[in-house]
Amino acid sequence: MPDYSPIDFAVPFFVALVLIEMIWAWRRRPQAYEPRDTLTSLAFGLGSSAAGLLTGAAVLALSLWLYQFRLFDFGAEWWMVWWAWPLCFVLDDLGYYWFHRCAHRVRWFWASHVNHHSSQHYNLSTALRQSWTGFFALSFIFRIPLTLLGFHPAMILFVGAFNLIYQFWIHTEAIGRMPRWFEAVMNTPSHHRVHHATNPIYLDRNYAGTFIVWDRLFGTFQQEGTERIRYGIVRQLGTFNLFWAVFHEWIGIAQDVWRAPWRHKLSYIWRPPGWTHDGSRDTSDMIRARWLERHGETATDGAEKPVPNDNPIAGREKPA
Amino acid sequence: MAFLGQFLASLAAILVLAWIARRMGLGRDIRIRDEQHAQMLADEVICGFEAREIALDRSGRAALLRDHAGRVILVKVHGAQFAGRLLGPGSSATIWEDFGQRSLEADSGERLFGRALLDVDNPENWVSAINGAKVSSHA
Ligand SMILES: [Zn+2]
Ligand SMILES: [Zn+2]
Repeated sequence: MPDYSPIDFAVPFFVALVLIEMIWAWRRRPQAYEPRDTLTSLAFGLGSSAAGLLTGAAVLALSLWLYQFRLFDFGAEWWMVWWAWPLCFVLDDLGYYWFHRCAHRVRWFWASHVNHHSSQHYNLSTALRQSWTGFFALSFIFRIPLTLLGFHPAMILFVGAFNLIYQFWIHTEAIGRMPRWFEAVMNTPSHHRVHHATNPIYLDRNYAGTFIVWDRLFGTFQQEGTERIRYGIVRQLGTFNLFWAVFHEWIGIAQDVWRAPWRHKLSYIWRPPGWTHDGSRDTSDMIRARWLERHGETATDGAEKPVPNDNPIAGREKPA
Repeated sequence: MAFLGQFLASLAAILVLAWIARRMGLGRDIRIRDEQHAQMLADEVICGFEAREIALDRSGRAALLRDHAGRVILVKVHGAQFAGRLLGPGSSATIWEDFGQRSLEADSGERLFGRALLDVDNPENWVSAINGAKVSSHA
């Protein structure tokens, strides 16, 4: 079994591509980067891989134990079954879609995933802004079905790493649109910009990892329009402090559970982010509904009232 | 120990990248342009927020907005972007006097979100809007 991760090999490429994008930003769009934000994002990436190293062994041990209860068996030489690899990749991507959807809709999972969204910038360094608390949030349970189906845990880890590597390049404003057929099937910078946006109409959309088809299939797809995109989270952090960025939502949960009346305590853990028992905060559904009430359904294609446009991507229609 | 070596190499790479970003002068010096801009930023804090009264800092680094219900939003420049907060029970406002120059300090009450210093007309109104009448001064 390989004891390395493909991600280790990708890191030098990540660094080189961030550098190239910085040069692009320097020439075309200096506001795409903010040095303090970049440092926080990159430190997130480093801390996340350290956390993964600490907890990876436990996840692997659990998976190997569960593997004995598998439904199907690819045989002792499971790695020789060539079609199992692409099949595993596609099914893992489907699993990722549901993990990601839950990560946005259940506050417990969000507390970990919010790390990835806490930057107000959208560039390749944002891609490396990965959670430190994924294990604590029990994110790995979303991969258990695949193990029980009969895919070897090592295979799942391997294709999962490639999925993560795929998602790196789509975190950029330097690419407008890919060719039509590509945009139709694959997750792209355009689709994922929508996912990172806090514009009401874009909230909780485009959960895809590699294939955007899952969003089209399950009704969570949103096309990027022409309005200026704002990135980050509904309640922006307003600080570059790394540790606050890592733990703020966990602290928020703890405070809410502590203060809430007994019968509402659990709701602060499993209900959507922004839910309160007294309606004092907004969930993404409430924000979207209020926005649609004011602007009408027709505005979803970006035909809303013009806002000061400092986003050169908006309005770019033809494929890049 | 291979891990430690890898960790330190990555840490070095991170610091170098951030340093390069700084040397390249990436980021931008942004300001809140006008009241309309401030209103737009407040709408990002609370969707549908309609300001009845706006105090824009003369240098455009921060703004306070109040709606019909008396809710007050503080918007400030944060790096190359903006960030805002609905002020609550933990928030406070103070007027500072320095060589005859009066400025308003709005404290979000959140340690890491911090506070903003605003050079605005009639800061008293905002002090009372944010925390009742609580004026202090220093020379
Ligand atoms: Zn997400
Ligand atoms: Zn992302």
